[in-house]
Amino acid sequence: MSVLILTHPSSHRHVAPPGHPERVARIETVDRVLAAAPYASLPRAEAPAASDAEIGRAHDAAYVEMIKSSAPTQGWANLDPDTHMCPDSLEAARHAAGSLIAAVEAVVGGAHKAAFCAMRPCGHHAETNRAMGFCLFNNIAIGARHALDALGVAKLAIVDFDVHHGNGTQDIFWSEPRVMFASSHQMPLYPGSGAAHETGAGNIFNAPLSPMSGGREMRLAYEGIVFPALRAFDPDLIMISAGFDAHAQDPLANLNWATEDFGWVTAEICRIAAVCCAGRVVSTLEGGYDLDGLASAVRAHLDALIAHVEALE
Amino acid sequence: MTDKPIDGPIDELTFEEALAALEQVVGQLEGGQVPLEQSIALYERGDALKKHCDAKLGEAELKVEKIVAGDDGNATATTPFDTE
Repeated sequence: MSVLILTHPSSHRHVAPPGHPERVARIETVDRVLAAAPYASLPRAEAPAASDAEIGRAHDAAYVEMIKSSAPTQGWANLDPDTHMCPDSLEAARHAAGSLIAAVEAVVGGAHKAAFCAMRPCGHHAETNRAMGFCLFNNIAIGARHALDALGVAKLAIVDFDVHHGNGTQDIFWSEPRVMFASSHQMPLYPGSGAAHETGAGNIFNAPLSPMSGGREMRLAYEGIVFPALRAFDPDLIMISAGFDAHAQDPLANLNWATEDFGWVTAEICRIAAVCCAGRVVSTLEGGYDLDGLASAVRAHLDALIAHVEALE
Repeated sequence: MTDKPIDGPIDELTFEEALAALEQVVGQLEGGQVPLEQSIALYERGDALKKHCDAKLGEAELKVEKIVAGDDGNATATTPFDTE
């Protein structure tokens, strides 16, 4: 039993227009990391496609229909200036959402203690009724809803350390007391939300970080805001929106996290999971646009997840 | 304040123009209307505008004259502001 890795070939067929930062090379980079030791020996599963009903737990039915009908037969459909669909994007988005469903089933069911979904398109900007920020379906929200509504999980927490605020996840769980959502992110930056006063039903915890800040400020924010709230909430499952674009090398933001900062935040989340929910952690890829920074940060994240699972055994 | 974007070389903007441009940038970033790909460039323009405003304020401070008060508390004269 170790960290379950979920993948699907369709992640490689979701092609953005030339020059777009959310590109196929990102998943190729993650796949190269996963193909090398020690990660090559991790257990694998192919991500299933999420059904309309499963996606509809986090999005309105009309929105799901809009996305389905937007898929072009050739070229691209532009949902907003950032967000595009190619002919294979719908299939990729269904499998990206399905990876979270399979991951929570594996972890909540006890087959694995932790899982990482190496999938695209990313999901945390997708709101109940709006595609944005490269995201079509909110994968982690669909997985969380599945855990709550289909698997009987009483309450869960989502921690989002992508450099951009997880506005979509916040929107979907704004008034859902069974879900705690905590996000650290650069502010000001896209999408403009994520101020500390945005608290939902008391279940939302935003930790905005100043441009050019680094690991020290990040640790203060997590130790001062996120982790106390996480311990107090005492979730039955912790999910991670693992964006790697707070890395100092990333071209789309100005935070200065070092590679080891991604390992630290992952390990600390896992330490809380070990105390409150038998170590159950489900993580999914969100952003990260510098390929070298992405590779090193994914390794640090996986190393922490593997060490966590080994410590539980 | 006009909604027309205030662009062009930052070095050539007056303090008032730079401040208005900075307010536009902040409004755009906080309003969520800026595409993800462009938000970093907009933030960096805002940072440059802020530095330009700071520099203009610094220049203005040097021109402020220090008011000299007499024994009764009333102003009696001014002397050039001297930072040395």
